[in-house]
Amino acid sequence: MEIETITDAFDTRVDDALSWIGDNGEWLFDAIRAVLEGTFDGILWLLQLAPFYVVAVLMGLLAWRVINTTAGVLTAAGLVACAMMGLWAETMSTLALVATATVLALAVGIPIGIVAGFSQSLDRFLEPLLDLIQTLPPYIYLLPTIALMGYGPATALAATFIVAMPPAIRLTSLGIRMTPSVFIELGQASGMTSWQMFTKIRLPFALPSIMAGVNQSLMMAFGMVVIAGIVGSGGLGETIYGAVRTLDIATSINAAIAIVIVTMVLDRLTQNAARNVKAGVQ
Amino acid sequence: MNPETLMFSPGSYLAPGVDWLNANFHPFFSAITRFIELVLGAIEGVLLYPPFYVVMLVAAGVAALLAGWRLAIVALASLGFCLLAGLWTASMQTLALVTVSVALSVTIAFPLGILASRYRKLETALRPILDIMQTVPPWVYLIPAVMIFSLGRVPAIIATIVYGVPPMLRLTTLAFKQVPRDLMELGHAIGAPPRAILLKIEIPSATPTLLVGLNQCILLSLAMVVLAGLVGAGGLGAEVTRGLTRMEMGLGLRAGLAIVAVAILLDRLSKGALQGRSVAGARPGSR
Repeated sequence: MEIETITDAFDTRVDDALSWIGDNGEWLFDAIRAVLEGTFDGILWLLQLAPFYVVAVLMGLLAWRVINTTAGVLTAAGLVACAMMGLWAETMSTLALVATATVLALAVGIPIGIVAGFSQSLDRFLEPLLDLIQTLPPYIYLLPTIALMGYGPATALAATFIVAMPPAIRLTSLGIRMTPSVFIELGQASGMTSWQMFTKIRLPFALPSIMAGVNQSLMMAFGMVVIAGIVGSGGLGETIYGAVRTLDIATSINAAIAIVIVTMVLDRLTQNAARNVKAGVQ
Repeated sequence: MNPETLMFSPGSYLAPGVDWLNANFHPFFSAITRFIELVLGAIEGVLLYPPFYVVMLVAAGVAALLAGWRLAIVALASLGFCLLAGLWTASMQTLALVTVSVALSVTIAFPLGILASRYRKLETALRPILDIMQTVPPWVYLIPAVMIFSLGRVPAIIATIVYGVPPMLRLTTLAFKQVPRDLMELGHAIGAPPRAILLKIEIPSATPTLLVGLNQCILLSLAMVVLAGLVGAGGLGAEVTRGLTRMEMGLGLRAGLAIVAVAILLDRLSKGALQGRSVAGARPGSR
């Protein structure tokens, strides 16, 4: 069969190429892994610094400030429920993974989005690329990352970073471009420097859109982090992966409930934060 | 305050419930299983029984009819890639899984969406449920499906249907709300029966938005079907999972690229259908 000779040749090539990259680019991937794992460990250390009830109360207070009293009480109760199900450590490491990947994705995505908001040609170049990233099933981003960085949280973080970046770029560039032209003219008329124009007019108008991007990035990151349990990311994703494979129904229900709680808390918090920002602008 | 003393586990209360369901509703679940296996087997048969070039030619023909020869080339290239990657069978299994789950999602979402566009109460009742369903990560859907239907293709399909319903439902409701009021009044004025208004006025004018919903439903279903490789759904997802867990990167990469090819094919086909329609003029008034 000729197809098999093709695929075999392809597989050997891939293995050769990967081992070549592994030999020659090891320092690069080690550096990336060190940065990713360093940030992750730092955030995880912060989250585990306080006992669970302190974190739950703090999150509850945050939800109370950002949304309302009911949401604050529900947030605190939900997080306490995670702890009572014996999943506190897993919940915190999931949160740390999401936070790390989202922060890195925003740190890269928002500047790119701002540049793309000003430069039409960069935007036209990025558009099909972002389309492609968002069309593909997120699961497959684990393949190249596991091949280059091996088993562990760094792989999960790299794949999550890829998935979480597109919404941040898109909505930032959209926000920059949507500045009402009346205000730009106002700025020009009052003799603003271009830096003042950017910080005082464009950025405040873009902020609601950027916040929507933060919310979407966060949600994409959350979905991916849970999937990344298969590459040994740790956290709730790995708990579920293990429980599903062994058909341990009780544990998988508990972990699923914990995931739903954390997702809802993060989503509502960022959505309402975005809404507050929008209300502040108008 | 120590969490160990307050330990509670909703899972250990729900697990006997699941066992009870499995024990008492076994005939019901096995009927669903048999129905899905039957439909899936039939579609897989249609895709796998004829030699590959027949399938490729038919796909190219459909693409050409929907949106011209460029799309036909895309179809030929993407299926050709699946073939050359040595993953023809797996690709066809994935296509069959996506087809069945999209068809069933649409069957559920389309009537519900129409009803939600007519009755405001239903819409307000559905909205928070859809919000939660679209926020929760896809992984979570696989868990109840696996608990009831065990491992294999059926839980994959069930989870995919549940995952594919919200976008389709939302866009169906939106599509039917956007039907221009003057067209509806025209229908009432000429005394058309509700059935004729639905078929001749509402559906044609809602079609562009419906196709957007279909496109989203297809792509989300593909993502879920691939993910379901983890629970033994077979197809390309299973190959990716094998590549990931056994570190066979060549296989994983081929399967990943084949998924890319299938995703591009499905995306372009459903978008091509949309563009073909908007060129022809989707508003019935312009015909």
